[in-house]
Amino acid sequence: MAQLLADRRDVDFVLHEQFQIADLSKHEKYAEFNKKTIDLIVSEARNLAIKEILPTRPLGDKEGCKFENGKVKVPESYHKIYGLIKEGEWIAMSDDPEYGGQGMPHTVAAAATDYLVAANHSFSMYGGLCHGAGKLVEEFGTDKQIKMFLKKMYSGEWSGTMLLTEAEAGTDVGALTTSAKKNEDGTYSITGNKIFISGGEQNLTENIIHPVLARIEGAPAGTAGISLFIVPKIWVNDDGTLGEPNDVVCTGIEEKMGLHGNATCSLALGGKGKCRGLLLGGENKGIKVMFLMMNDARLQVGLQGLTCASPSYLYALDYAKQRVQGKHLLKAMDESAPGVPIIQHPDVRRQLMIMKSYVEGMRSLVYFISYCFDMVSITESDEEKAKYQGLADLLTPIVKGYITDKAFEICSHAIQIYGGYGYVTEYPVEQYMRDCRITMIYEGTNGIQAMDLLGRKLGMNKGKPVKDLVGEILKTIASAKGIQGIESLAENLEKALNKLGEVTKHIGASARSPKVLSAFAFAHPFMEVTGDVVMAWMLLWRAVIAAPKLEKLAGTGPERRAKIEKDKNAAFYEGQLKSAEFFINALLPVTSGKMDAIFGLSSSVVDIPEASFGG
Amino acid sequence: MDILVCIKRVPDTAENEISVNSSGSDIERDDLVYSVNEWDNYAVEEAIQIRDKVGGSVTVVAVGDSESEDVLRREMAMGADKGILLSDDAFEGSDGKGLATILKAEIAKGKYDLILTGAQADDGAGQVGGMLAAMLDLPFASLVNLIEASDDKKIKIGREIAGGQQEISEIDLPCVLSIQTGINEPRYVGIRGIRKVASVEIPVRGASDLGLNQDSIGAAAAKVSRVDYFTPVLGKGAEILEGSIDEKVDKLVELLKSKGGIK
Repeated sequence: MAQLLADRRDVDFVLHEQFQIADLSKHEKYAEFNKKTIDLIVSEARNLAIKEILPTRPLGDKEGCKFENGKVKVPESYHKIYGLIKEGEWIAMSDDPEYGGQGMPHTVAAAATDYLVAANHSFSMYGGLCHGAGKLVEEFGTDKQIKMFLKKMYSGEWSGTMLLTEAEAGTDVGALTTSAKKNEDGTYSITGNKIFISGGEQNLTENIIHPVLARIEGAPAGTAGISLFIVPKIWVNDDGTLGEPNDVVCTGIEEKMGLHGNATCSLALGGKGKCRGLLLGGENKGIKVMFLMMNDARLQVGLQGLTCASPSYLYALDYAKQRVQGKHLLKAMDESAPGVPIIQHPDVRRQLMIMKSYVEGMRSLVYFISYCFDMVSITESDEEKAKYQGLADLLTPIVKGYITDKAFEICSHAIQIYGGYGYVTEYPVEQYMRDCRITMIYEGTNGIQAMDLLGRKLGMNKGKPVKDLVGEILKTIASAKGIQGIESLAENLEKALNKLGEVTKHIGASARSPKVLSAFAFAHPFMEVTGDVVMAWMLLWRAVIAAPKLEKLAGTGPERRAKIEKDKNAAFYEGQLKSAEFFINALLPVTSGKMDAIFGLSSSVVDIPEASFGG
Repeated sequence: MDILVCIKRVPDTAENEISVNSSGSDIERDDLVYSVNEWDNYAVEEAIQIRDKVGGSVTVVAVGDSESEDVLRREMAMGADKGILLSDDAFEGSDGKGLATILKAEIAKGKYDLILTGAQADDGAGQVGGMLAAMLDLPFASLVNLIEASDDKKIKIGREIAGGQQEISEIDLPCVLSIQTGINEPRYVGIRGIRKVASVEIPVRGASDLGLNQDSIGAAAAKVSRVDYFTPVLGKGAEILEGSIDEKVDKLVELLKSKGGIK
């Protein structure tokens, strides 16, 4: 099998041909990241992922985490690879070198993460949360807090978590009951119980830094009265040395559908009245501070979706090429006809095309968001900065909500292609599907993402990010209209984009009218059609790049097909044209129907009496 | 101890499906992904460990086109101090002896206590190390799986011999050793290492820099040339193990024991 986890040709295409990421090295901030360096980083991430991390994926799934007497043991094989991740400094890839980060472009970090997470989703979360919690300290910590915690978190010496959820405060975080009381020494005493804490307790690191949401006694109810605290598992003295164990007790871990190698913990804070925390970012500012981490986490979850979908596709593709079953449809009646690899069957090809086109579109979209952050980092124009930040903000619910929805469908297609073997644990695809399912739930369910898109992001900055997004899509459409062979794809996408514009106005207006409940009942379908159009844009963008390169390699004459079959690059570019053609001509018309449904805004969801649901 | 390691850029067998081209003159090389030869990577790791223990330097050298710079830089990111690329159109088509001649010319310009090569290359014949030692008139040990560097006159080296036994020898320095895989566990390259070597200049030396003429290198001087590549026809004798996974494993262990593969 030539490719595992992520097709390197595709990763390189997005990095170097779609976003020309090496050009970022012209800017001082990214000067050391030239093409050779970028390629070496991606190669080494891939090397580490495939040789060391991937073999632990099924091991961790079978062994799971063990909980005994308040302690959690992660799968044994995770210890070595955690050491390698720390040693290679893969945890804080794009963060400030002053604090132990590696300062690389976000887009390059996304490519490295593409491999590292695909190799073992469960394992990757231990390092991922170190980084997320560290980012909070970097952005909102005092100089002293930064000095005490940050380098040890970015290096992975200490891990991190996020303590938001409580039994009665999941999606409704404002309902939390964990309380904080200020002590004379400036610390806070924290009391409460948190659940669903990924990596809340483990035996990989000597300390765990928990950012904890709690309400200071007397603070307002709801989210306005929430503050954020740094609560170390083992107290950290002012000089950075470790003190006494803090009163943070793991009371159990969850048995889950997937993600078995990651400990999902229940934590009791202050059961003995001795849990101390440090305020991070000011009193009652907790939600704002936490959202920084949450937005980053949502994008990471979108990337996790990609990293479940991409290997599922590659495994299924490889299997479809190897597995001989049934005769070719055109020779079905010929008794002597041999069996053929199942990739020759139209329905298998249809599923592979769905998987291929989505995985490619997802990869481009995930990297595009990272590219937006890179542009925010380096551009000197405030207007440009605002534009890229707006695009990233607008597209965050699409990356999180839409990509993970589709990633799960792709994992399911992979199982279907494997047939019965896909359903058994001996083959890798069923684990991807189980692990993938959580991505639609955590860091804000996909329903919440859809509401975020409709209720918050559409109207953000008076609709400027929406206009910018449409402007970017129109640029691609204009380029495609000038390229022979893909003009009709451009026209079809333009029609879908125009219709989406009308749908957006319609649902936006409905959300501000008495039909608000019906509008929000269609928030998820709206996120889906928006995602469809964004996917089509990414695929058309790829086709715009591929078409002239293909013409150069294979020409337009009768020899074209033969050249494509002989030349791997030509075959790749042809694959880009076919992905765009398939998605825009075979899937996007369905989107048009889904948009009709949104125009219809059926109120049945709202009108049906609860008693009529049955049950 | 100043150590030089000869490394080679080879098609990565983990990345590529290797196939023979239609004329049978070579493998299909279009669009292959290349990496450092696995044996050489072990040799570089060993050199780095020795340097870290007793001091000195590690230089990596490769013969190849400009793309070979990538593997040199990769091994420098791993921890080698210096890289040298030996590249010239005149080197093309060199046989094993020609390659050893080119390497010898470079090595003779410096002063190295220890010269390491991989025991073989994925696409090679395991001949360069021995030839190089002969040309340099230095002692040579092949298939080395253990090195104990204690003083600057002699080192102890180990080799696995028939029946899984270990042989230990002493060898005078300077010497040439060809390194077997498994001698160590090569480290992975981290981001900091990559950043450190991102903009380091790697000197390139051609035939005239090395004082080489066409008589000893390149296709014209080669006395060994490949004449054919083909995929062997599958022979008989394969035994397909039947049963559940556990049963298959038990049968395999039994077979390996009976054939002397494991004890």
